[in-house]
Amino acid sequence: MKKLLPFIGTILLANVPLAEPNKAPINSSSALNSPQLVESIPGWHKFGALFVYIQTHWINILFLIVLLAIPTIFFLHYKVIGPKVFSHKGKKFLIFPPWQRVVHWIAAAGFILLVPTGFLIIYAKFFGGGSFIVFARYLHLIGAILFAIAFIPMTLMWFKEMLPQIWDIKWLLMLGGYLSKEKKEIPAAKFNAGQKMWYWIIVFGGFLMLLTGLLLYLRDFNIALLSTFNLNNLFGIDILRISIIVHLLLAVIIVTFFFTHLYMSIFAIKGAIASMIDGYKSEDELKHLHSIFYKKLINKEEKF
Amino acid sequence: MYEYARMKFYCDENRCIECNACTIACAEAHELPVGINRRKVITLNEGIEGKEFSTSIACMHCTDAPCSQVCPVECFYIREDGIVLHDKDKCIGCGYCLYACPFGAPQFPKDGAFGIRGKMDKCTLCAGGPLPTNSIEEFELYGQNRIAEGKVPMCAAVCSTNALIVGDADSVAEIIRARNAAKGKGTSSPYGWDIAYK
Repeated sequence: MKKLLPFIGTILLANVPLAEPNKAPINSSSALNSPQLVESIPGWHKFGALFVYIQTHWINILFLIVLLAIPTIFFLHYKVIGPKVFSHKGKKFLIFPPWQRVVHWIAAAGFILLVPTGFLIIYAKFFGGGSFIVFARYLHLIGAILFAIAFIPMTLMWFKEMLPQIWDIKWLLMLGGYLSKEKKEIPAAKFNAGQKMWYWIIVFGGFLMLLTGLLLYLRDFNIALLSTFNLNNLFGIDILRISIIVHLLLAVIIVTFFFTHLYMSIFAIKGAIASMIDGYKSEDELKHLHSIFYKKLINKEEKF
Repeated sequence: MYEYARMKFYCDENRCIECNACTIACAEAHELPVGINRRKVITLNEGIEGKEFSTSIACMHCTDAPCSQVCPVECFYIREDGIVLHDKDKCIGCGYCLYACPFGAPQFPKDGAFGIRGKMDKCTLCAGGPLPTNSIEEFELYGQNRIAEGKVPMCAAVCSTNALIVGDADSVAEIIRARNAAKGKGTSSPYGWDIAYK
């Protein structure tokens, strides 16, 4: 141990920032406080101007459409066409084992925090701004952490079942049979094409949201990574601008699908949410909504 | 007709000697915490003969300031003399002003346990904020209000080579013209001015 002391001392000293009394704290690894800051000024016309345009012209309108139009469409669908009701008596099949449900609900808890707080930040003026919205930003971060925890297990656990299959085209053409009240067999395996779209939006979109959100959170980061990707003409501030544009526009798509997911599971198919609570789906529901999966299940059972 | 002055910053790259007096004076005058750099001195092409120059940069108090356009709480207000100020009571620290700013002026302290961005802080051209002029609350949130006292902003006041100039647009332009003429140069717009001022 005594022999190691000089080494420990060197390491400790190396981490002590030596003050330069005549210099402002300019950090060469900083993207916002280095020659980059001046070099990036003429480049403002690229992404800086684009962000100003998008934020001033589109963001409020787009999210207002999502917030008002999507629920209106679903309300009309509920009133005109009506929900699908399946018998929840009789035989039940275990669809989601407990660990899958846990992962799902961690991601769901993340979303329940992320989406409303995201709206609070975008319409901060309407809610008065100040410390209330700062609190919403804290919750947004907690939501992101919850979603990040569930992201990798959720991607892996359903990956195989979520790969596109040929009958998904048929599902998309008939929009999953949601435009009529008629009960018929809808072509879908364990997950239908709509669920698959939601899954892939979460996998790619969710990854991009986590990445851009992390960059925005870090704000001033070492851009050594950029030179490895040969992106030297991009400045740190441009990365932040691209991140916020991607984060905002992707949120429009993800929130739209999130509302659809909520409507489908809670309202459009009566009792569908039960399968995510106790893990079981009823025979009637499987037969109609996941006909291909149901036939496979039945074949398997007959074999045994 | 009475016309208001239009306040502008100008840093003469030919005169700036990278002494950092403006940044230190700014930080001291407004009692800024560590990590908040309202004004920065930056040297470009360091070590390359003939190409090296330094410049001092802070909020330029732009025309149609992009930060005020993108702010989701509209906490910015632009005074009649063109000084862009903001209300920290409304600010939510979302960082949009930083993404919109061509000059990287908005500064964010790390706030709370999660280290997220706190409320934005930036150069006020020593004109304080929306709180009562020269009150203690105003000083604590925004720093000195030297404009209200008829003083020159701190950074320009301490500039030993008169590289950093602040004042009414016409007066600043007059000085730039005189300096360029003395060197036998034609009229040229200072770096970044085409983006800041329309």
